[in-house]
Amino acid sequence: MRSGYVAMALVVIAALLPLVFVSVVPVDVPRALRELGKYYVLNTIKDSASPEAVAAVVWDYRGLDTIYETVVLYLAIVGGLAIFRISREVAKRAIIGLTVLTQTATKVIALLIATISSAIALHGHLTPGGGFPGGSALAITSMLIVPVFSVYSLLERGITSTRLIAVRGLALTALGLVALLPVIRGLEIVTNQRFYPAGLGPFVISGSISMYNLFEFFAVASGFTAVAIYLSIPEELYRAELGVGGA
Amino acid sequence: MGVLESYTYVLVILVLALNTMMSIYGIVYRPSLVKKLIALTILSDTVFIAIIFVGYIFVHPLVPPVYTGAIPGETEYLAKHASDPLPQALVLTGIVIGLAVNALIAFGIIQAYRLAGTTDARKLVKSLVEEGVE
Repeated sequence: MRSGYVAMALVVIAALLPLVFVSVVPVDVPRALRELGKYYVLNTIKDSASPEAVAAVVWDYRGLDTIYETVVLYLAIVGGLAIFRISREVAKRAIIGLTVLTQTATKVIALLIATISSAIALHGHLTPGGGFPGGSALAITSMLIVPVFSVYSLLERGITSTRLIAVRGLALTALGLVALLPVIRGLEIVTNQRFYPAGLGPFVISGSISMYNLFEFFAVASGFTAVAIYLSIPEELYRAELGVGGA
Repeated sequence: MGVLESYTYVLVILVLALNTMMSIYGIVYRPSLVKKLIALTILSDTVFIAIIFVGYIFVHPLVPPVYTGAIPGETEYLAKHASDPLPQALVLTGIVIGLAVNALIAFGIIQAYRLAGTTDARKLVKSLVEEGVE
């Protein structure tokens, strides 16, 4: 009880301290963009044919950085799965999920999440979003299905971690190819507008940005789904694999 | 209005500093590896908020840096009223990479628990010494 009062007093002091500070020292808040930010906002449509400046920075202006970040993502997930490897088949078990009510609601919600996440990824070059948030949102679907229907319902439908890793490898290969293709014409790696078209018929595709978003969407979604599956495989199986008894 | 904006500005900086101190305390002094991981996620989120805060400007209305083509003279309007796209782009990828790295650390902690039966850093070191691994 005593510590509760102390914590409350500390919060009040922390809230009042800046008020005292600004009444003594005049503080100028930033009211204009930095020159760099202004450049991105003004030239994004001309340089990368993308109306959304964030997507243009991620996949065009700083495209090479993002490719390397994708490599970090790939290695982190590979490292995790290497620690959690299992050599034997996951034995099938009876599926025990939650009630029918929860399962039906989850089916509707999972469909909605899958739809919205693909919209986030495919609109990534037009509206805020992109492959990274879209893929993370799609991975939520499997993280929702695992507690409600059990992991065996995913494995029975052929969504195994081996296949997911294959999908992720293919998506990352495609991503690398999109980045490397301009090199055959003698352009730099991760070139966008000088190599890829800005539009496809009536659609604005912003050159390579929409392709990167699509492949990153699959790579992130399959990677995190594989992580979710590995985390929800029963503990006994890993213990048998390691040869350690119950702790 | 001016005082309120300055107050918000200084308050955010103070809260970020307190958050940083708290999470570094958690990483250094908490013996449980799980609590260390939680403190690490708080620290990374604090850094993301700090990066976003660098790109924030006090104008009204503040709009996302998206060109719609609907308003005449929109690029000039965006140059005055849009938030900085660069910090947002950095944080956008950073969150997902951070999630993957946190998953890797969590995998390591779970594996340590399976092998040693504890997530307490001191007990883990003791069990390593007992096994002859220095």
